[in-house]
Amino acid sequence: MNKEPEHQSRWQRLVSWVDGDREPKDQSLFVMERRPPRDFRPSEEEHDRQERRRLNWFFRGYPAVAILIAAVLVGVLLAAVLEMPAFGRADNPINNEVSERYLENSEEETGSTNVVTGMILGYRGFDTLGESCVLFLAVTAVMMLLLRNEDEDGPLEPEEDEGHGDVILKQAAWLLVPFIFLFAIYVLLHGEVSPGGGFSGGTILGAGVILFVSAFGQRNLRVFMDGKTYRFVRTFGLLLYVGLYGAYIFFGANGLPNYLEGMVLLIDLAVGLVVACTVYGFFALFSKGKI
Amino acid sequence: MIALEYLLLIGVIVCAAAAPLFKRLLTMVIVYMAFSLLMAVLWSLLQSPDLAITEAAVGAGVTSILFFLTLKRIGALKGTKDE
Repeated sequence: MNKEPEHQSRWQRLVSWVDGDREPKDQSLFVMERRPPRDFRPSEEEHDRQERRRLNWFFRGYPAVAILIAAVLVGVLLAAVLEMPAFGRADNPINNEVSERYLENSEEETGSTNVVTGMILGYRGFDTLGESCVLFLAVTAVMMLLLRNEDEDGPLEPEEDEGHGDVILKQAAWLLVPFIFLFAIYVLLHGEVSPGGGFSGGTILGAGVILFVSAFGQRNLRVFMDGKTYRFVRTFGLLLYVGLYGAYIFFGANGLPNYLEGMVLLIDLAVGLVVACTVYGFFALFSKGKI
Repeated sequence: MIALEYLLLIGVIVCAAAAPLFKRLLTMVIVYMAFSLLMAVLWSLLQSPDLAITEAAVGAGVTSILFFLTLKRIGALKGTKDE
């Protein structure tokens, strides 16, 4: 009987505190140390001297304690490494039936010659889906924080929009950007046969776009990608992944029907799009606050 | 080949130890970049080219760009053209 209103009011107090309407009653946690009241306080010089002594102790003790902690950590880690089995021995615990199965069956089960890609996008595709979601949400959070509001902050300065005026950068970018794009697309689409795949290809693609933007400005990028296209590509990549991997799970997640042979390639493409958009989005939002 | 691996390992350790010791943040980021580059070569020597490509692109490329942007934002690029 008595407890209910108490609990209720506590809950309401918590709610109002979370909403920022009231301060917590006990402020001692949030207020910095106060000087003692006047009657107990030593004289000004005495106080200063005490403070200085304390600071001296702190600055002398801090490096010592830091070095001690670092040395202990390094010691623990080195001891752990010494306990590990030798690199590349045949009877190491990692060489068990799991990796054997991956190495032997991944080509027919996931349809990708590169075992790493088969593992990342086939057997462990659900992990990769989570990672893609993390990247997607990270860019969304940065957008919420840093995206420039045109009504309040006005449009970009013209020279900011034009890109760097540097001649060397412009010439180098003019020469390099096509090859970077070509290499990125090769790594992206060839990921199931050769080293590479969605993550690395997407990163290279994003880095190429960053080089292009920092040399020629965002105005020139808008010829083929503005904010709307960016958002569309980003969401499309994630949705494509979700759809394809959902289909993969639906079909039993073990061995693909013939008409789904190229699925790893498409998933690779989806991951690549998400990663490239993440990389470029971070750059654009950090540097100009606008995509 | 073994000698090259040892050389790279020593380079990695030196870079890792040197990175926090520099006073200038710009130098720190560049040393960190060198660390990633050496690590990428090491990955490819350890026969994991997938990791090597990713390390070179993410570690040496994109992360450093984000660090540079942050340094520019907080005005820590003193003595360079941007400041």
